Amino acid sequence: MTGISWRHVALWAVFIIFMLLLPEMVSKGTLRTVIFANFLAIFAISWDVISGRTGYISFGHPFLIGIGAYTTAILSYRFGMPVGLSIPLAVCVTMVAGTLFFLPALRVKGSYFALVTLAFMELMYQLVQVIRPDLTGGTRGMSGVTTLARGAVNNYYLSFGLMIVIAVSMWVLMKTRFGTALSAIGMNEESVRGSGLSTTRLKLFAFMVSAMVAGLGGAFYVHYLGSIAPRALFDINFVFTIIVAVLIGGASTIVGPMLGAFFLTFLLEYLRPYLPGAERYFIYGSIALVIYMYQPKGLYEIVMQQWRKYRVVKAGET
Amino acid sequence: MAEVSRRKSRRDLNVSHHLEVNNLVKMFGGLIATNEMSFQVDEGESLGLIGPNGAGKTTIFSLIMGELRQTSGSITCFDSEISHLQTHERIQRGISRTYQVPRPFADMNVLENIRVGLMPDNIWQMIMRRPDPEREIELAQSVGFAENDFLRHPSELSIGDLRKLELARTLATDPSLMLLDEVFAGLTVAEIAQMAELINQKREAGMTMIIVSHDLKSLEPLIDRAIAMNYGAIVAEGSFADVMADEQVRATYLGDE
Ligand SMILES: Nc1ncnc2c1ncn2[C@@H]1O[C@H](COP(=O)(O)OP(=O)(O)O)[C@@H](O)[C@H]1O
Ligand SMILES: [Mg+2]
Repeated sequence: MTGISWRHVALWAVFIIFMLLLPEMVSKGTLRTVIFANFLAIFAISWDVISGRTGYISFGHPFLIGIGAYTTAILSYRFGMPVGLSIPLAVCVTMVAGTLFFLPALRVKGSYFALVTLAFMELMYQLVQVIRPDLTGGTRGMSGVTTLARGAVNNYYLSFGLMIVIAVSMWVLMKTRFGTALSAIGMNEESVRGSGLSTTRLKLFAFMVSAMVAGLGGAFYVHYLGSIAPRALFDINFVFTIIVAVLIGGASTIVGPMLGAFFLTFLLEYLRPYLPGAERYFIYGSIALVIYMYQPKGLYEIVMQQWRKYRVVKAGET
Repeated sequence: MAEVSRRKSRRDLNVSHHLEVNNLVKMFGGLIATNEMSFQVDEGESLGLIGPNGAGKTTIFSLIMGELRQTSGSITCFDSEISHLQTHERIQRGISRTYQVPRPFADMNVLENIRVGLMPDNIWQMIMRRPDPEREIELAQSVGFAENDFLRHPSELSIGDLRKLELARTLATDPSLMLLDEVFAGLTVAEIAQMAELINQKREAGMTMIIVSHDLKSLEPLIDRAIAMNYGAIVAEGSFADVMADEQVRATYLGDE
């Protein structure tokens, strides 16, 4: 909620340079894990814009991601539309469909919002299986969807490029008074209204931004995987992964969801040999709880605290 | 004294009232919180609203702001009906309130709290135009914050400071009619004097006000007229002295104190 300083810019630059050099430093296997982390970061940032800031918890983000993914997959795979056209179209469709469906949801409060969004996700899961399975691929989904890049390194650069463009633009957007207003809604919506602002309009706009990012992420994700599997996409575990990434990283920030996404992806990756099945999802709850007990504001705040401590020590030395 | 006569003459000239409430009714289930209330406030006038706890004072404010919808009756601002407007639209008409229990933004400092009040209700401008720190500071200072308070968070503020912050955020919306709810509650003697001074300044500047307070001694010099209410209805209306002399008021109110 403070302005942008040269130190911020420098930190972003250092991070970007490090990530650009990453393929030189790590194995292809690790790089594939980072690709997933990049996509999870995109979804987490999207979720945070509406839910992390305003406190309206969405359980339906796979609905948005799914619209983006299905639209571009169907347009390009079934109708031979070039990806350069189908992806922007998919993003537009996500924003429009998301707005239409969520408009009623925005008028309800708290847990009702969560329920309504969850219902949309479930509805979408049922719909893609029943309506026009010749287009959606029904229960099995689709495979053979055009991929945009070949090999781990290229796909890594593509996913990182997308993630960093989204992260930095969202970071700049959230530094404006618009971001402040969204956070204010999360703290006390009545007072925001009492300050003369239409919170309905603010939430709707935040939702459209969130849908845009989710649509972008979903579209690129399907072109990375080359396939779409409704059961994995419209899965409550997928929603939890996104939410837990934001919460352990630090809601209402941009760096937090990124941190959380990377932390969670690598944690699950390293746990895979020991906990192969769904048990590893139990780990989510425990980790989220431990971090929450230590610092409710998440990893981002833990890092910031250490940094402030370090600054104080440094200042004491000189 | 010159101020008072200026206000009086303006009142005579203006036919339309700044705010007019007519036959206002608000039911909460079977409870009648506002019972056929009718009153007016003229431009530049300061009206005191008194009554025991649960009389329905805060409910009136919420109805005027559109935070609650009336069961029936009308609310007009300069003769135009505002009942259909949403809260933010009423604020854009220059009506603003403070809350009995201050409602700051907990994770924002004093200046950031004021920043929200200063925001235009236009997302494009919110994004493209920078905040105005000078105006934020000016407002913070105008309600009596010192420089070292600017970056404090609500959790570090006293109830008096929170009321000041509430007032600053309300003033930030640039109101011409202010509804002040229990402005003196929980304040120290020094803070009461400071708050009264602030209200007086706004009054001198021509602000229309409705003030709710239990602290009658502090309220008296700040108002032109008083309304006493109980059970959602007006019990007495007139000058402060007249209202306090009313038998019903003495019975319900002074017995309550
Ligand atoms: N949201 C509400 N739901 C139900 N009853 C309410 C609500 N708000 C206020 N009341 C009731 O309405 C009456 C008037 O309350 P209020 O306006 O807060 O009184 P005052 O501000 O004069 O103390 C009280 O009996 C209170 O319990
Ligand atoms: Mg009250």
